[in-house]
Amino acid sequence: MEPLAPVVPDPAELEREAGLARLFEVHYSSMLRLAVLLGADDPENVVAEAYYQIYRKWRRLRDIEAAEAYLRSTVCNLTRMRIRHLQVARRHLENPPEETVVSAESAALLRDDQRVLIGALQQLPARQREALVLRHWLGLKESEIAAAMGISCGSVKTHTSRGLAALTQAMEARR
Amino acid sequence: MTHRDTTPSRGTDPDRTERELSEALAALAGGVRAAPDAYRTARGEWLRRERRRRLVLAVLIAVVFTLATLIGLWVLNQAPSDPGVIFSGLGASPIWPPC
Repeated sequence: MEPLAPVVPDPAELEREAGLARLFEVHYSSMLRLAVLLGADDPENVVAEAYYQIYRKWRRLRDIEAAEAYLRSTVCNLTRMRIRHLQVARRHLENPPEETVVSAESAALLRDDQRVLIGALQQLPARQREALVLRHWLGLKESEIAAAMGISCGSVKTHTSRGLAALTQAMEARR
Repeated sequence: MTHRDTTPSRGTDPDRTERELSEALAALAGGVRAAPDAYRTARGEWLRRERRRRLVLAVLIAVVFTLATLIGLWVLNQAPSDPGVIFSGLGASPIWPPC
């Protein structure tokens, strides 16, 4: 009796696995940080979900360079959806738990004024927060922020300036 | 006579807020560390979800196919079994070829 032939893996599948492993190695940490800065309460899950979505749509991906922008945009969308879901869930609870701004160990590394600033940032509407984080942490151009958020460049300017004005006001009130 | 303050401005102008925001974001991001086995965990999860998605899809297709087959058989079974519904075969047969 002949032994069973070993299963030959699909070359496209192997290519996808290798591509994803490379993407994970290069971008995972920055995507995790982005999710934390955007205020996700479970950044690991958000980023894992973003990678799963890119895993499913791998064949439709134009090139590996487009993957970073796609991941960034997905992390922004998923975080926004997650925060909205939590806000709705809190509204239906009798004793809602206090909102956790950032994890205690991350917050411990911040100075007092930085903690206040990050707290004020987390109180901003999601779009303003996204625009500010993408601009001031990732240093993206307006067009890149617009692509990541799926809005126009004009809207990016509006969200950035309103967010910055609100933060300035919050910092003034503190002093 | 008025005195102008020559010390650097400590006001909270937007430029200063921008600078402080960049520093705060960098400090917060610097404290975030990825788990060492993050890739293995995430890969296991997305492989599991993909297998589950394919299984659900296969079951759905099988259910739709079975339902369509059963409905087709039922419809065929409802057709009257009397002879001559469509063609009785009793009438005079046409003359062929025509004269």
